[in-house]
Amino acid sequence: MMKLKILFGFLLLTVLSCDQRPTAKVVPIDQEGLKQVLVADNEKIKVINFWATWCAPCIEELPYFEKIGASYKNQLDVILISLDEAKSITTAVQPFLENHQIRSKVLLLDDPYAAEWIPLVDHHWDGAIPVTLIISKNKKQFYNKALTYDELEDAINKFL
Amino acid sequence: MKTLKILVILLIGGLAISFFLGMLDHREHKKLFAERPVPNKEKINKKIEREISTTKGYDIGDAATDFSLKNTDGSTTSLKDFEDAKGFIIIFTCNHCPYSVAYEDRIIALDQKYKNVGYPVIAINPNNPKEYPADSFKAMKERAKEKGFTFPYLFDAGQQIYPQYGATKTPHVFLLQKEGKDPIVKYIGAIDDNYQDANAVKNAYLENALQALLSGERIKVTTSTAIGCRIK
Repeated sequence: MMKLKILFGFLLLTVLSCDQRPTAKVVPIDQEGLKQVLVADNEKIKVINFWATWCAPCIEELPYFEKIGASYKNQLDVILISLDEAKSITTAVQPFLENHQIRSKVLLLDDPYAAEWIPLVDHHWDGAIPVTLIISKNKKQFYNKALTYDELEDAINKFL
Repeated sequence: MKTLKILVILLIGGLAISFFLGMLDHREHKKLFAERPVPNKEKINKKIEREISTTKGYDIGDAATDFSLKNTDGSTTSLKDFEDAKGFIIIFTCNHCPYSVAYEDRIIALDQKYKNVGYPVIAINPNNPKEYPADSFKAMKERAKEKGFTFPYLFDAGQQIYPQYGATKTPHVFLLQKEGKDPIVKYIGAIDDNYQDANAVKNAYLENALQALLSGERIKVTTSTAIGCRIK
């Protein structure tokens, strides 16, 4: 009986720890769409990461964003903004999300005039990716570098 | 007891099904994406250095350092080799970055147009090939030949030069003009504001700066930002 109970508990834990969210579908946005993303939310902390399928240091840190988004799903809204070209949505971006089972929200900023929207994100941004922006209703922090999981968790903890 | 047994069986069944479905989705895929960089020991030490270096780098008006770097044509190239030049279009660029690739034809055109009036292009690959194998010196030679680069394509071996300039990404331009002995930084930033389509450019930052230098006018826009691949 006891053994069964332990087994049951163990199995239940296994099932619950699985990330049940479906794989993301990439949604293209323009500069107006970006402005909306950059507005703070009253309830949740927004964790916005700029990346691309061709960017090796970006790919390296994506699992950390997936993990943190799943671990703090009630407090965080993880938004991954791809800077791939819109024409590569079907050939590269969506296949990438499926291959890597990415479940966070994924947008694609379809606007080559980066000089116009880079300052909207942060005036310290030199244009290199990856970068991460964390926004709550009373706080904003920009990271002009790739993050490790510990760095990301520390950054989030400053907002919780 | 019975309910527990049923629950356990249900859970095992559920797990087995989800496992099976997961396996079904395990197809083979082409290498469409950036490969994960192989972590190496150098990286850990470099990280601290780099954080310091990103805060340094040149401002407009600073004197730029000369260098002596390996060229893909087999020679060694320095700024002092160009006695007749009035200045230089230094472009930190590389093989692997799609933004760099998108600008290759425009860089060749810039060199052909401005070399003859005293401003040759000097391209420098600042990446560590351990991070990006596509940016090895051998791969650089191949790319220079394939595209018919008309300018020196140099390798920043040991990554000594790019931190002094303050380059952070590729492509990253530093326009220099000789004043007395030193080359002085006149413009820092992007080539133009549309990497996707040369015909849809709204601001040709670099060319505007070059035209201003040639006609002895003040450069109106001395810095600009654009997306690029972080130098590693």
